[in-house]
Amino acid sequence: MTETWLLIFALAAATFTVRLSGYLLGRRVPEHGPWARGLQALPGCLILSLVTYLLMQGGPLEWAAGAASLTIALATRSLPLAMAGGIAAICLLRAYF
Amino acid sequence: MTLQEITRSSPARSQLTAGLRDILPLAVGVGVYGLAFGLLAAQAQMDGLQTGVMGTIVFAGSSQIIAVERLVAGAGAGAALLAGLALNLRLLLITASLRDEFAGRPWWQVVLGVHLATDENWALMHAMRARGRRTGYWYLVGGGLGLVAVWVLATVAGASFATAVPEPKALGMDFAFTAAFIAILRSLWSGSAMLLPWIGSIAVVLLAGLLTPLDPTWTLILGGLSGAAIAGVLGSD
Repeated sequence: MTETWLLIFALAAATFTVRLSGYLLGRRVPEHGPWARGLQALPGCLILSLVTYLLMQGGPLEWAAGAASLTIALATRSLPLAMAGGIAAICLLRAYF
Repeated sequence: MTLQEITRSSPARSQLTAGLRDILPLAVGVGVYGLAFGLLAAQAQMDGLQTGVMGTIVFAGSSQIIAVERLVAGAGAGAALLAGLALNLRLLLITASLRDEFAGRPWWQVVLGVHLATDENWALMHAMRARGRRTGYWYLVGGGLGLVAVWVLATVAGASFATAVPEPKALGMDFAFTAAFIAILRSLWSGSAMLLPWIGSIAVVLLAGLLTPLDPTWTLILGGLSGAAIAGVLGSD
């Protein structure tokens, strides 16, 4: 199974290179101005893109469960509760629809 | 910050433990996915050692899943590597945005920090900071250490006891991260200055997803960059 070991080490090296390159890239961004503002806004925009994509993969049931998670998050600001509520909602919805 | 300072009680140590504690609910989701990945690894004839080593030194769940899935499909190691790498390009943006956390730190802390940076602990760090908590480098590392431990244990367990592993979807766990990231977004929302960048991100992802045959990886990166670009061009310091 040397092919598997080869894949493991190559993927590890490639992944670490990507992670380190990001850091080196971020260091070159100036402290102020448009580039700095963009870098500051990046985390939220990236996570939002991820959520949008994940919800696009689902259907009405997932959207309803997403709305349930958001409602709980707005009401409680608690990550564990929003997670548990979303998971419970999707289980119930899938069981009954 | 030296090793001695970390082992004494310090802000670093309290952040490390806070990061470990706060990551728990997300670690449960990671654990379920780890079991599912272990199942896939077993199908690819990988043993516990290979699975454990991969989890430790790659430490990127979705890219491990796609790479091993390609291997199972008989695509060859080269194609598997490319697929896994493409999915990880997102990490470039994640570590780039960690600039301030790594500023002025010794190289070993940078190496450790970038390796432990994943969607979950990075997003959690930003969410908690937006809520007024002091979260920085050691908070990120604490969360990352918790995640890597759970990920390695769960993937090795899944590979070793493949027959007893539940399907994440059957438990509703496929929705765990969507729910978690929705909660994290709620914490990251800091006011109307973010409205246009966020609308831009959503629009780009929707349009790219519906109208182009783009790979999800590129859709995500485009969406994130578009929002950041809008914030950079339209915003003010």
